[in-house]
Amino acid sequence: MQISKSRGPKRPQAEETLDAARLELGEDFRDAECLLISEVKVLLEAQYDSKKEEKNLKEVYTKTLDYVQKFSRYTNRDTIVEVRALLKPTELEAFECAQLGNLCCSEFEEAKSLVPSIGSKISDDDLDSLLKQMDSLKKYQG
Amino acid sequence: MFFHKKLSHTITLHPSFLGPRMREFVTKRLYQDVEGTCTGRYGYIVAVIAILEIQMGKIIPGHGSAEFEVQYSAILFKPFKNEVMDAVVHTVTKMGFFASAGPLEIFVSQNLIPADMEFDPNVNPPSYHNEEVKIENGTLVRVKIAGTRIDATKIYAIGTIKEDYLGVIE
Repeated sequence: MQISKSRGPKRPQAEETLDAARLELGEDFRDAECLLISEVKVLLEAQYDSKKEEKNLKEVYTKTLDYVQKFSRYTNRDTIVEVRALLKPTELEAFECAQLGNLCCSEFEEAKSLVPSIGSKISDDDLDSLLKQMDSLKKYQG
Repeated sequence: MFFHKKLSHTITLHPSFLGPRMREFVTKRLYQDVEGTCTGRYGYIVAVIAILEIQMGKIIPGHGSAEFEVQYSAILFKPFKNEVMDAVVHTVTKMGFFASAGPLEIFVSQNLIPADMEFDPNVNPPSYHNEEVKIENGTLVRVKIAGTRIDATKIYAIGTIKEDYLGVIE
């Protein structure tokens, strides 16, 4: 008879050593899909009516909804799709893409300072033009 | 950062629920059990997006209840050290200010506010200000997470605005 069951894979990386600046997000989030705030807004708003009907509005849900409504940068789905399309061909990791999309930096020095893991993965000129394109998408969205 | 991730959860159902609407009960229980919870490993589980699979149930010997392992995908919110995020200030005190980013509570100590910003207790509402900007209730700030502490039901974070490009945002 088997007595001790193996408790899954090895323990996750200690919480204290995780560091977004070095892109160490731990085993669980290394390959997870990162969402833009605007995407979260679309997803949460889609559930709002059914949740309200079932009176299943939890505090975490409502607080998050407030937050994403306040900080969502892109107002419609088409813009989100276009921003994703801009970020996709770059060498950047999912986490960095989402940070750039969320923070909407105006210059490349700002982007590199706020998301230090970008480092030299992308040239300054490329990053600059990427930020400019995202900015113009934001400006001219419907 | 918000994540979209596949997770699994085991649900135990009392025998009285083992009938034609069983799947519905399992789904409902999953929403009740996991949404709004907070764990150190995954952060906050904000909302379940889709139920991917409900595996065949197993009756627990000598008990009668059945266990179902459910695969689902959810929106998670987990803050990381050195991550930059935007937040809304809600309390300003002599020691620093508190801001919230969704369910996350961020405290920015006075030591981590630029030295030229002074606390003014005499105005209402109290604020930190220098010549150009003012931090008071409702101000939007961009903070960098300096560290996190995980409680049973909440995550607390310490933030800083004492670096380039951080602080009040328009």
